Amino acid sequence: MKIFSVNTLLSLGFGLIVFVFFAFFYRFHLNYQEQYQLFLFSADYFLKFMEKPGGFSDYVGNFFTQFSFYSWVGASIIAVSLTLLQRAVWLISRKSGANSLFYPITFIPSLLYWGLLCDENYLFGGVMVMLLVAVSVCIYTLIDSIPARISFVVLSIPVLYWLAGGAFLVLPIFAFVSEILKRQVKWTYLAIFALVVAILSVALPVISKTYFLQYPLRQVWIGANFFRFPVNLPFNVGVIALLIIFIPFTLRFLSGQVKTQKTTILLGLQWLVLLSGGVFFISSAADMAKEEVMAYDFNVRMRKWSRVIALADKKSPASPLSVTCLNLALAKEGLLAERMFSYYQNGVGGLLPDFTRDYTIPMITGEVYYHLGFVNTAQRYAFEAMEALPDYQKSVRAVMRLAETNLINGNYAVAEKYLSLLQKTFYYRAWANNALQTMKDENLIAQHPEWGWLRQCRSKEDFLFSEGEKDMMLGVLFRQNQENRLAYEYLMAYTLLNKDLKHFLQYFPLGESLNYRAIPKSYQEALIYVWVNTNNDPTKDIPYPVSNATKQRLQAFQRSAGATQPNGFSDSYWHYFYFRK
Amino acid sequence: MNRYFIVVIVFLLLSFQACRETVAPKEVRKEKPAIFPDYVDVTVPATIAPLNFKVQDEYSAIDAVIEGRNQEVIHIQDKKEICIPENKWAQLLANSKGDSLRITVSIKKQGNWIRFAPFAVHVSDVPIDYGLVYRLIAPGYEVYSKMGIYQRNLSSFDQSPIVENTLIPGSCVNCHSFRLSDPKNMNLHIRGKKGGTVLMTDGKINLLNTKTDETISNFIYPFWHPSGNYVAYSVNNIHQVFHAAKTKRVEVVDGASDIVVYDIKNNQPISCAELMNDSIFETFPSFSPDGRSLYFCSAAHREMPQEFNKVQYNLCRIAFNPENGTFGGQIDTLFNATAINKSVTFPRPSPDGRYLMFTLIDYGNFSIWHKEADLYLLDLQTGLCRSMDEANSRDTESYHSWSSNSRWFVFSSRRIDGLYTRPFIASIDEKGNIGKPFLLPQANTGFYTNLMESFNIPEFVTGKVEVDPNEIEKMIVGDKVSQVGKLKMQ
Repeated sequence: MKIFSVNTLLSLGFGLIVFVFFAFFYRFHLNYQEQYQLFLFSADYFLKFMEKPGGFSDYVGNFFTQFSFYSWVGASIIAVSLTLLQRAVWLISRKSGANSLFYPITFIPSLLYWGLLCDENYLFGGVMVMLLVAVSVCIYTLIDSIPARISFVVLSIPVLYWLAGGAFLVLPIFAFVSEILKRQVKWTYLAIFALVVAILSVALPVISKTYFLQYPLRQVWIGANFFRFPVNLPFNVGVIALLIIFIPFTLRFLSGQVKTQKTTILLGLQWLVLLSGGVFFISSAADMAKEEVMAYDFNVRMRKWSRVIALADKKSPASPLSVTCLNLALAKEGLLAERMFSYYQNGVGGLLPDFTRDYTIPMITGEVYYHLGFVNTAQRYAFEAMEALPDYQKSVRAVMRLAETNLINGNYAVAEKYLSLLQKTFYYRAWANNALQTMKDENLIAQHPEWGWLRQCRSKEDFLFSEGEKDMMLGVLFRQNQENRLAYEYLMAYTLLNKDLKHFLQYFPLGESLNYRAIPKSYQEALIYVWVNTNNDPTKDIPYPVSNATKQRLQAFQRSAGATQPNGFSDSYWHYFYFRK
Repeated sequence: MNRYFIVVIVFLLLSFQACRETVAPKEVRKEKPAIFPDYVDVTVPATIAPLNFKVQDEYSAIDAVIEGRNQEVIHIQDKKEICIPENKWAQLLANSKGDSLRITVSIKKQGNWIRFAPFAVHVSDVPIDYGLVYRLIAPGYEVYSKMGIYQRNLSSFDQSPIVENTLIPGSCVNCHSFRLSDPKNMNLHIRGKKGGTVLMTDGKINLLNTKTDETISNFIYPFWHPSGNYVAYSVNNIHQVFHAAKTKRVEVVDGASDIVVYDIKNNQPISCAELMNDSIFETFPSFSPDGRSLYFCSAAHREMPQEFNKVQYNLCRIAFNPENGTFGGQIDTLFNATAINKSVTFPRPSPDGRYLMFTLIDYGNFSIWHKEADLYLLDLQTGLCRSMDEANSRDTESYHSWSSNSRWFVFSSRRIDGLYTRPFIASIDEKGNIGKPFLLPQANTGFYTNLMESFNIPEFVTGKVEVDPNEIEKMIVGDKVSQVGKLKMQ
């Protein structure tokens, strides 16, 4: 018994490839998407989306995006959705008279949307829009009665507009072309139909804007947030939407032209073009450099410090944000002073990047401030990152951080507010319940490995945050809790990365309270370098326990100093000091 | 057919009635219930929307019996919260003016009913204005997301936007102000790449570019002259700085500030040396109800932000002649806050001219970020000043606005969670006696918990603000901005 046709298997195969891509090669993009929304299981949240055209698609898109917390679940959802879109396009094409010989062509809209989803700013709600309009066209093609299908189209327009936004036009345009080709409806009726569609297309957005919505007309017309920046026109999505109309009629035309003896060649040629084009297109669309940063960020968010270091060991990070994540991971594992120059360093910007008014950099930088004990600054960065989201969403990651920072600061009422929101989420409910329980008992907070410690690290002494005086802030923070090793190592790293050896020497003795077994490598390198370059008395030995190996290595480095990039010293501070601009 | 229909309806109604359990309390407590919002013994106007509430405890059912004058009763039972039907509530209040409602609350815990001591809601016979206008904005730092200026009918839960920043993407909308609560005379600013000051005079909208060569900034904090011919504004060079210690978050400081009065008819800002003094910070202007005095906050210049916690403002007054737009030559200090190591912000005289309400903080002028911020009342007849303890809490009380009849005031407070500002309304009589304030009622008790925005600058309005946001959008997008004239110095 035949269960699946070849075409069905090909669709399943496509879905499988999409799944593998997102689950194994592009998984951190899905985690990235998930953090920038706060999907709540509440009527208020749903109704807020339903206030604007396309909001329903955004809502469903967000509903599915929340499952990208586990990237394999998100990958499954994308795979199923894109496969369904392809099947819908095929169904429309078949009902329009396409030959199954052209089955590969029906993959094009899904393939193109797959490419769009490689851009982290394209939101999943757009796929829902495509599915909604494709399904509505499918329904139209399945209705035999002329009055019924025309009525369906006209009545669907306002509903579809509200559910999917301006993409609703796909249905009436398809119906119009289809009816022309079928020649079952009189021209007069077709003209009336076109007129009604045209009036509705203009009237619906204009009425919505005039009476209900305060958005630019263009946004009211487009409706759904295909792109994270709603002011941008989603041209690419428009092309894909038009393909839902164009492909079925083109295939109908081509099916009439094809000669039966050349089918195998034609089919093979299509698959060849589709596969080679698809591979080229997706590999061009995928931004693996961003995927790398997102991988670093996700592991930092999950406190998987060893995984961050493993990523760097595999391939040294090149982007400033990856370096920021790596330095934090090294510090959390107690390795910053020992190994930071084993990896690429881009100056103090890779330690504590400056504040920017966006939603990515403050989120990552906020992690550093949080773990250092700058709880107020971490709170500010989380809030700013959330408010900077251009599609006006809230961020589940930011809300968690706001709950944590308020809890650490003892602002329990506002922490409870954030936690009560998180209780309405799917993945974070248990975490919120635990946090609420912890919050009820000061002892539990004190014993909490992170919150209790950060409470001890916070600054009791008030000072104003100063972007240009981070070393001073780190110094004040460390002075108040001299067990805060992270603050000390960041302070020292700050001076080293700034090539400020004067302050390095000045701050170095502060680390006495941390009881290092041996002076960390980068500190030894800086100390011996300063000593060699400032001591004029050859009988004197350096007053710090610097290993002989380090001393000999510096001599070797100095001997090869004439070379533009001396080999074998790229993991040393001296190499950074001399060769990093 | 109709008969069957009526029978079904009656049956359903009886069924619902039958669902209500008889409350036979196993325990009767002497204390009044702890409810949210706290409406216990508050004074409300007779036209306020239903005071929906819940008990701050865990329970499987809640029951409330609300008794008004003439044995009128509303009885509600629910699993979660008490939501009072709007029509019945409005009728009950109307019939109980000048009297009190008696509310008896019971909750069901572990199968047993517990009844609390009844509490009162005093129904004032003094009317309140139509509604409130406020901005909803997340209590953030530098970056902002969606925000808007909204109006709310106090008799219902209807809220509608006046203008939202989604209209002009990337913009910020702020500083709404009305002439004596008149919805036809309004000021608000739209800031961004494109924007300006929206000035509505007698319902007609004008968009202004208020930056002049002689002033340090656009017009900022507004206050209308009672005649409607002038609006006083401060011009400020504003900065934000951020605290490291847990107890504080943000400090908003002025590097410089002056005061100008915008002459609407002549499209010209006017000022005088006393209000444009470089060695003094002048801000938060407000006119007296007779229009002949201009109140403002004044502080000695300090280096900002280094000395942010050393700047302290006094409450001052300068004479103003509305006939010719001139100022008196002398500044009077009405409240010397620096003498008590404090600082004054938001001076707001009552429309009847009897009182002046202001916010008192330890330093600076941006009280919303000051936990110690409290409301104070200055009796302009006697010169006596007192803390409004009936309205103040341990947390921030900041912006405030008088109703047009001077018998109610609304103020923003962070008392609920310490961060998200909420509007509270309180009564005040001729002698300055203040009723217990009540939180602006909402349709459900989870409203404030779920809301991620603060209520900013609550202002009374005597009627619905009729503004076409599309008209504002066209003016802004079409660059139809009128430049205000050159500053005229006295």
